[in-house]
Amino acid sequence: MDSLSQASLEALKLLFSGDRELWEIIGISFSVSLRAILIAIPFSILIAFLLAYFRFPGRRLLISIFHTLLSIPAVVVGLTVYLLLSRSGPMGDLKLLFTQTAMIIGQIILALPILVSMCHASFQAADKRAWETALTLGASPSQALLTIMHEIRFGLLAAIISAFGRIIAEVGCSMMVGGNILHYTRNIPTAIALETSKGEFAQGIALGMTLLFLSLLLNLGMSSVAGKGEMH
Amino acid sequence: MPNGKLFSFETVQKSFSQQLLLDVDQLVLSAGQSIILSGDNGAGKTTLMKIIAGLEKPDQARIQYADKQHSWSSLRPTLIEKIVYLHQQPYLFNCSVEKNIEYGLRQSGMAVAERRKKVEEGLRWAGLSHLAQRNARVLSIGEKQRVALTRARVLNPRILLLDEPMASMDAAAREQTCGLLQELKTSGVSIILCSHELDDVLTLGDLHLRLQAGKLNEMPLS
Repeated sequence: MDSLSQASLEALKLLFSGDRELWEIIGISFSVSLRAILIAIPFSILIAFLLAYFRFPGRRLLISIFHTLLSIPAVVVGLTVYLLLSRSGPMGDLKLLFTQTAMIIGQIILALPILVSMCHASFQAADKRAWETALTLGASPSQALLTIMHEIRFGLLAAIISAFGRIIAEVGCSMMVGGNILHYTRNIPTAIALETSKGEFAQGIALGMTLLFLSLLLNLGMSSVAGKGEMH
Repeated sequence: MPNGKLFSFETVQKSFSQQLLLDVDQLVLSAGQSIILSGDNGAGKTTLMKIIAGLEKPDQARIQYADKQHSWSSLRPTLIEKIVYLHQQPYLFNCSVEKNIEYGLRQSGMAVAERRKKVEEGLRWAGLSHLAQRNARVLSIGEKQRVALTRARVLNPRILLLDEPMASMDAAAREQTCGLLQELKTSGVSIILCSHELDDVLTLGDLHLRLQAGKLNEMPLS
């Protein structure tokens, strides 16, 4: 118990003393995950919208695939991306393995099923009259899509927060395709795993605290946005 | 009174689950004309109105417009531009009454000052000025219908399609809505109105059509 509280105190000291290495790891984590989520969002929303509003062959199969991929382990995604990017793999010439780009690719693959499934559920739950109303009032299909997105913004935001929560905390994929290289691909989860294996708990706890604080911030942000949407 | 053909829909067909729901030979929409469309539940009134509004694709339809014959798909942008369809329970966006009324004007790219002027004029027309900042979703049924009518009116549509506009309204709201529809009709807007409660709406009509077994039959107005 004593060692835990001592490690926690040390962790707080590391955080507030502005430890360069620690903050660099936090920076890499956010930079990689934010880029991954920003790339994944537009594709996911478009796919979710098409799945919800249009009927085409294979639609049900696609929905089932995205639902199945919701529970795919991060290490499986890591392994797949590793095999694709490794020197002997089909994309080996791109020399992306053990780079931030490889981590971003892995995190996009992890985020897509969550984003598509949750956004699809929101689009499905949206009142179909909204789409027709927007069109009959002269909106173009893209303007109508933006209108629907505004109507279901809380559902979409919840999807984004959930997906971001998953990718910033995943360790398996980042470890495999990023390689946990200090100053380059070492992010919060891979650093926690490494420090714990070395018995150095202070940095791990500090990084864990950062993740918890992030989770709290995201939830507060979500509640605040939802509050603004309440009707008066 | 009608004063010129706008659209003529011919051989309109629509099936659901391989069952022919609509088989309309001809429906002529003239400027300033009011058509009361009646029919049993499930007769296809809403489907017909959505086809006319460009919102639902028919299996087959030919449309005469501006002395030319068009397919539904090629004329769809014109139908959307000139016709506004109001659902039985109008969908109001989750924002203020003012923003709802402004919606179509904003999509058209109209300048802010002009938009404001039109919205204010519309709010006054429907007696909604005092509700301008209220969230449209919390209004009564009658008020919601007035917001939807105003939102359509500010776009200056040639034709307004109303699906059971008086459903679930109390007598006062009904009277108010009828008054606004009468004003729209007087200003030259063509109206197609489908309703079960014919007593309320027959006075608004120039023509009464009944949809039966997919066909349109002319009925007396009284």
